[in-house]
Amino acid sequence: MHPATPPTAGAPAGRSHRTPRRRLLRGLVALAVAAPLVLGAAACGDDSAGDDGKIKLSIFWWGGEARAKLTEDALALYTKKNPNVTFEKTWQANQGYFDKLATLTAGGNPPDIFQIDDNYLAEYAARNTTLDLTSYSDSGKLDVSKFPKSLWQYGVVDGKLAGLAAGENTQGLVYNKTLLTKNGLPEPTTGMTWEEHIAWAEQVAKKAKVPGTMDPSADYKAFWVWLRQQGKDMYKGTELGFTVEDVTKWFELWKGARDRGATPTPDVIHEGNATDITKQLVVTGKAGTSWVWVNQMPELKKNTKDELGVVAYPGDPSAQWARAAMYWSVFKGSKHKDIAVDVLNFLANDPEAVKILGTDRGLPSNLDLRRVVSDDTTDPAMKQSIAVETELAQKFGQSPQVPIKGHSKVRAELIKAAEEAQYGRLAPAAAAALFMDACKSAIA
Amino acid sequence: MALTTVPDPTRRGTGSARARHGAGGRIRQSEGLAGYVFLSPWLVGLMAITAIPMLLSLYLSFTNYDILTPFSEVEWVGLANYERMFTSDPSYWHAVRVTLTFALVAVPLKLAAALGVALLLNRAWRGVGLFRSLFYLPSLLGGSVALAIVWVNMFNRDGAFNSMLALFGIEGKPWVNDPDWALETLMVLAIWQFGAPMVIFLAGLKQVPTELYEAASVDGAGRWRQFRAVTLPMLSPVIFFNLVLETINGFQGFTAAFVLSNGTGGPVDSTLMYTLNLYIKGFTDLEMGYASAMAWVFLIAIGVITAVFFSTGRFWVHYSDGEDR
Repeated sequence: MHPATPPTAGAPAGRSHRTPRRRLLRGLVALAVAAPLVLGAAACGDDSAGDDGKIKLSIFWWGGEARAKLTEDALALYTKKNPNVTFEKTWQANQGYFDKLATLTAGGNPPDIFQIDDNYLAEYAARNTTLDLTSYSDSGKLDVSKFPKSLWQYGVVDGKLAGLAAGENTQGLVYNKTLLTKNGLPEPTTGMTWEEHIAWAEQVAKKAKVPGTMDPSADYKAFWVWLRQQGKDMYKGTELGFTVEDVTKWFELWKGARDRGATPTPDVIHEGNATDITKQLVVTGKAGTSWVWVNQMPELKKNTKDELGVVAYPGDPSAQWARAAMYWSVFKGSKHKDIAVDVLNFLANDPEAVKILGTDRGLPSNLDLRRVVSDDTTDPAMKQSIAVETELAQKFGQSPQVPIKGHSKVRAELIKAAEEAQYGRLAPAAAAALFMDACKSAIA
Repeated sequence: MALTTVPDPTRRGTGSARARHGAGGRIRQSEGLAGYVFLSPWLVGLMAITAIPMLLSLYLSFTNYDILTPFSEVEWVGLANYERMFTSDPSYWHAVRVTLTFALVAVPLKLAAALGVALLLNRAWRGVGLFRSLFYLPSLLGGSVALAIVWVNMFNRDGAFNSMLALFGIEGKPWVNDPDWALETLMVLAIWQFGAPMVIFLAGLKQVPTELYEAASVDGAGRWRQFRAVTLPMLSPVIFFNLVLETINGFQGFTAAFVLSNGTGGPVDSTLMYTLNLYIKGFTDLEMGYASAMAWVFLIAIGVITAVFFSTGRFWVHYSDGEDR
């Protein structure tokens, strides 16, 4: 395990001016890192050699109780088929998940298998924390032949397959059907323009007394889809794929919508930005539509009595893409890489396992099995999101590249800048300039 | 967690006082050894979970450590982190401003509230004990997440506070979701938790000899005069203690800001406290080296502020028994 390796001669430059004090500090570093490792190693001494052939893999994911149950069942099935492999399972809510994953990694004992999303995939891959799965997919040990090509490619960072898509997902505009029917208003449709959407939302605000749409100007995924419709993209290589003019236009579009009363007031928008899926405005009744991921539909449904519908984001739906809802990655330093990859393969391609997992992490990546699962499902909300995804899938465009290192900072900066504009503290152009500056240092 | 390792003056104070009293006899060697043996769990703890991590974070503050890269590949960047902090990171200075504003407003008001209520409760009323407990309660809940969540819900646009205002025909604001008011809402929360300094003030008030008041009133001093000439000077060591403690607490305000803004420091960075910014840099942005540098500057800044308090204390803190000086 590399963190334990004491600093040796081959290591980075800048060594020449090493002072005794630095040596002492390095010693302390090594001690602090090594101590838990030694203790840890004593506790779980089962190396791949395996005296009794027993192997224990650690696996870590975020999610709710329902997901935990499904995942545990699927893993139990693996153990049943491979009695020598057992799992140490850890899961928790999304909040704080990445803090913990980073801390575990820093402590030198990250899980063998972990769930990750496209916000952090590049961060982890660029730091060599994830195992490159390319050789496994080449040899067929990790079978991606039944995956949509764009889906598994959305796990490729710098030419390395850093994560395996755990499910497919896309952007979805969720609207409150009950509210619209009650007020005799039309439902939004896939393919309506942004202008039409805002005009419709204004109509809703007037008739139903509820602002028709959440203001998504702080929402990177809405911004991203809109950018792609302008022939741009979020990132191009290691650069930003858009200019300050694009951001200004985007902020102005929503300033117009707010001025027309099509969206809630800034404080309500902020509430929607700052909270999790269970308090999205379409659920709390503070807006007619929310901008979410399609696989979040069942979770939204759980939190409201109203009937919900879902369509694509406004504009040409070919700007949307088959996105990996989340990935499974293997820790590069895992002692049981081959088995961990085999588990990934099992979770994605074993018919029974896929059936158990259902659509909780998005639509199954394996297209053959996806058909089976969608025929089997009885959950109406899931049926609906499958239908939408399937319908849209024909209109999808190509996947963009996986967001680059620094993406999570860019997301946070977009929220800040958009809120400056929403609260009217800055004009759209000034907020856009602020955002561009912040982005440049975020991805530097 | 280098950010919580600021020395705790309470412990320091009583500890050294004890030592002074008990330092008379010569301790035999075996007893000394036994002492160290009994001390060892604490010593090991101090080394393992305070001293070594602190030194480690000092080292990391000169590196580009990002928490995911193994230590062996960490790159030494010299003073780059410190340079960036002071010259090219606007969010750093923004957080410093937010924290200073918070501490400058919330700490004096909190102490004033604590002293005021302590004076009221320093009487032999019936049921005064109940009131003391009730006022102390919010501080017991101190850094609790639950309390911050309650606060968010109370000060929402449709929260209890605005409903109350509505009874008087006043239209409220979306306090916690308004960048002009979010920090103020946090200040009110901090001030409301004045119970801990209040209890200390109460204890201090009990120590003031009644003869002094009697003498003062014989000399014709009124209530206000008595307060200024007797209570305040006699209480000054306690005021000093509370001031130092609460200032440090004020600078470290984290939990409420974290919960209120869902870990972002929003709306629009209005609640981006120093420690919250540090946390975001370390864990969200994966810049642990930079965050370590921020932690060290923070530690030094608090040290300097405390030192300033101590040096000015000479001029206004009166200790009644001269031998203690």
